[in-house]
Amino acid sequence: MKRTMLLLGTIAAVIAAMSFSGCRKDPLKDMTDEESRIYITNHDNNANFNSYNTFSIVDSVVVLSNRNDAAKKALTDYDKQLIASVKAAMQQRGYTLVDKSAKPDLGINLTRIDNSFTNVSWNPGWWSGPGYWDPGYWGYPGGGWWWPDYYVVYQVNEKQTAIDLFDLKNPKNDKFVAVWNSLWRGTGVWNINNVDTMVQASFAQSPYLTRNK
Amino acid sequence: MKKIKNWILILAGCVAAQAVSAQSRPPLSFELNYSIAQPLGSLKDYSDKTSFRGWNAGLQYMLNDRLSVGLRTGFQDYYERLPRAVYPDKQGDVSAVQSRTLQVIPIQATVGYAFTKAGSAVIPYGNLGIGAANMNYEKYWGEFVEKNNSWQFMVSPEIGINVPFGKYSPVMLNASVRYNYAPYKYQEITSYNSIQGNIGIKFHLN
Repeated sequence: MKRTMLLLGTIAAVIAAMSFSGCRKDPLKDMTDEESRIYITNHDNNANFNSYNTFSIVDSVVVLSNRNDAAKKALTDYDKQLIASVKAAMQQRGYTLVDKSAKPDLGINLTRIDNSFTNVSWNPGWWSGPGYWDPGYWGYPGGGWWWPDYYVVYQVNEKQTAIDLFDLKNPKNDKFVAVWNSLWRGTGVWNINNVDTMVQASFAQSPYLTRNK
Repeated sequence: MKKIKNWILILAGCVAAQAVSAQSRPPLSFELNYSIAQPLGSLKDYSDKTSFRGWNAGLQYMLNDRLSVGLRTGFQDYYERLPRAVYPDKQGDVSAVQSRTLQVIPIQATVGYAFTKAGSAVIPYGNLGIGAANMNYEKYWGEFVEKNNSWQFMVSPEIGINVPFGKYSPVMLNASVRYNYAPYKYQEITSYNSIQGNIGIKFHLN
């Protein structure tokens, strides 16, 4: 009987040591910042990207935070790099950069999102709320933004960067329609050294976004 | 009435058989194994890598020299990281490094049959486990996880050998090969199939 107790004791100890999840491999443990990032792009299937000629881009970046109602516009080194990099990518796809007063076909809004909550699902274009780019910026005071329901719903946490491409030529019911969007999530999306890679990845996975076809 | 009589006879047979087996080894045994599992079929498409992270443990009760019933559980962790790729998702595209994992915890009732007598130097056996398994699906898109946890029916036939450390020794080496099947469907996985190798120790408890 003593031997049995000893055996059972040993067995219990071994099982406790190998708790159910104790021997599982943790995917986050050996993950680099680069591996942690995801780039989500969406586009309007009805949009004809060949029909646009010119584009313009905002002169700063909106920073949204759920900790602070007052969103602000910023122009940090990161923001300058972002503007330059998106410009270059658009020009590479055959679009001509013009001043926003020259009635561009496409408008590009840039937004950084800094949210501290987790596990909140969002609606398409949720960030286009208070503090987002005023349509007046694009010569459409009193207008709005319209996000078709092709946007896939993901969960939000931490820092993100969004690039929104709007059709300024064909407003629908006083609203500009988003035709393309890229959202970056993960560690280091606000790091200036990653901007070029992330812009290039976003465009590379969107081959339809071109005038060169 | 006749049915009851038959049951009594079967029961008496079991008790008698147990009395005989008691002369060789105590009827209750515990086994503990390390396990390696190879995913098959759609599970392999989801997570290709052989899993070296697994174990299982069980209790068995010998009804006689040959026949046993038992209960077992265990754990197996599948994992594969895929290099960055673009995954189309409805109308969107997601560029991500995917870490695809699945953790399986089965709980099964078993029935086993030994092909040789208890006194043999090597005791080959076969058994069948039927029960449920907890399937924990976690697919990481970068650092963002897509999770699903569910219970599934699982059936697992197994063949193996027990090698006693000396004749009638209550301690035996256990080695076996098991096939697991569960009608588990989630995303890429259309059914759960794996072949699993186990090695460990089996104790008859006094």
